[in-house]
Amino acid sequence: MRRRKPVLMKLLAAGLFGLILASYSVAQSHTIAVIVNPKNPVTNLTLGDLRKIFTGVERTWHGGLPVKITVRGPDTLERFVLLRILGMSEAEYRQYWTAKVFRGEADGEPVVLPSFGMTKEAVGLFPGGIALVDVQDLKPGMNIKVIKVEGHMPGEPGYPNL
Amino acid sequence: MPNRIAAATFTRLISGVLFLSGIAGAQSSEPADQQTIQLLMQQVKQLQQQQLALQDRINLLEANQKSSTEVPPATPAPVPTPTRSETATPSQTPAPSETAAASSPEMHNLHGIRWRGFGELDYKVLNQRTPELGTYGFVPGSAGNFYVGDFDLFLTSRLTRKSSVLSEIDFEEGDAQRFKVDLRRMLFKYDANDHLRFSFGRYQTSIGYYNWAFSSATWLQTTADRPLVMEYASNGGLLPTQAVGVSVTGSIPLGRVGLNYVAEYGSSDTVRPDINGDGLLNDENNGNQINLGFFLNPDRVFGLRIGGSIYHDQISDLVLSVGGGPIGAQGAGGIAPSPSARWNQTIVNGHIVYIAHGIEFLNEGFLIRFAPTIAGETFNTPAFYSQFSKKLGPVRPFVRYQYINASPQNAIYNDVGLRYGPSFGLRYDANDYIALKAQLDHTVRRGLPDLNGLHLQLAGTF
Repeated sequence: MRRRKPVLMKLLAAGLFGLILASYSVAQSHTIAVIVNPKNPVTNLTLGDLRKIFTGVERTWHGGLPVKITVRGPDTLERFVLLRILGMSEAEYRQYWTAKVFRGEADGEPVVLPSFGMTKEAVGLFPGGIALVDVQDLKPGMNIKVIKVEGHMPGEPGYPNL
Repeated sequence: MPNRIAAATFTRLISGVLFLSGIAGAQSSEPADQQTIQLLMQQVKQLQQQQLALQDRINLLEANQKSSTEVPPATPAPVPTPTRSETATPSQTPAPSETAAASSPEMHNLHGIRWRGFGELDYKVLNQRTPELGTYGFVPGSAGNFYVGDFDLFLTSRLTRKSSVLSEIDFEEGDAQRFKVDLRRMLFKYDANDHLRFSFGRYQTSIGYYNWAFSSATWLQTTADRPLVMEYASNGGLLPTQAVGVSVTGSIPLGRVGLNYVAEYGSSDTVRPDINGDGLLNDENNGNQINLGFFLNPDRVFGLRIGGSIYHDQISDLVLSVGGGPIGAQGAGGIAPSPSARWNQTIVNGHIVYIAHGIEFLNEGFLIRFAPTIAGETFNTPAFYSQFSKKLGPVRPFVRYQYINASPQNAIYNDVGLRYGPSFGLRYDANDYIALKAQLDHTVRRGLPDLNGLHLQLAGTF
């Protein structure tokens, strides 16, 4: 009976390690891309730009085109990455937008869309649309444009770990 | 022998397969099929509901798209061209426009008017039986009592793509559980572009950070109350927190430093109660105030804000009785039955704030200067507060230290004197709508015993 505990502990540790490894490999295989409307001339954004856009600090593209943010809902990879970029938890993100609305700096939180398909459609519809998407969802011929982040396209060396 | 072993293995395999297929056959023929069908039916229903929800969202998007294409030169031609080679990065500051049109489940919509409510319930106990701050329904003679504080209704409505209306109606508890209505903010907003945004109406003055960042809604604050220097003037705070006039803000395109400006011109007309419980009011009879501020939001350190402002006005030191009748002017020896004097009021602020990664670190310093318009002594009142908190799951412990040093000879702040001390507490977010806060305050006062307080608060939004 005494021997079972170490064996159990080893099994648990191995399971945990496997889980971490699996989640790491999933994270590695899922790169996040920044997409905009094809009519938007923007070609590159820095991480600082992304933070300012997705916090509503910058709300017009250069030239006056209004930024239209679409985000995915909680418990999605895109949302996880968004919160990591912003350095916020889910609750902080919601509270941040409530405060922003209360200061009169926004009418509401960004639109939350439940799927990649709808995100893609929304970005394609709005000239100022922008969203974070999983690279694996992207296919040729879509009415969206993938832009560089910090001067690199997704998959290129130097692309930030979004 | 090998043949025998092979034959035995083959027999076992066959019997195993037959056994498994028997089980499978038995399972498929059981009446549990009905349960499976029911489950599938449920799933179909769920999928239908999801489809309906998605259809709703599509409708919303289409409606939004229609509204966006109605006004701006959206479609084919005039797309802005980037000026910088690498980017067409957005310019710096808010211009509530299309993002604004984004629908939020957090805001209620009624015929185009979006609204949200904030409320609180407080229990505050002190180690003295006289009220502090002259706030709310504190009953003189009791050490502690419950009060409702501020009940806020926040309404916004978009008029055109560039203009909107914002109002904040506050029901504030006074003496004997009587409530007064205070239109804390009422603004007509017009956003010409990111660099020029106008607000006309009653606004919160942008003296420093706190008054800009936090309004009446205590749910938004980490602590149970505002720092004394930033307390609303109607509650005994030192600064003119509200004004009626015009406010202009915007960004100044200076690369990645994120420079922003704010300029305000308006009338404050502040009446503040003494905070020492004597029941007197100071009617400052303000002139027209001007406030100018700048702040940086550097790209390199997201969440950092460094800024400052300078404010100027002319005020009087007229003292009113509780009933509102004039008594005279406050002087060194108390209330003098003379006409009030006029003072040049100058308020200089500097602040460094960092909010990111669950950390909230607020630091603000003030110098409030009163110089008589004719002749006499000038008074400088330094004040600062520093507040640090870190979110740990649903709990956010915080610590705050504040300091105010008003001269006893200062005719306007003679009820304030020297006050300093720490506050400790916890904020617990039960969910996205309810926060519970517990705060301990220790205040050292010149010429008076130290003041200790416990403040419990239930703050919510709906």
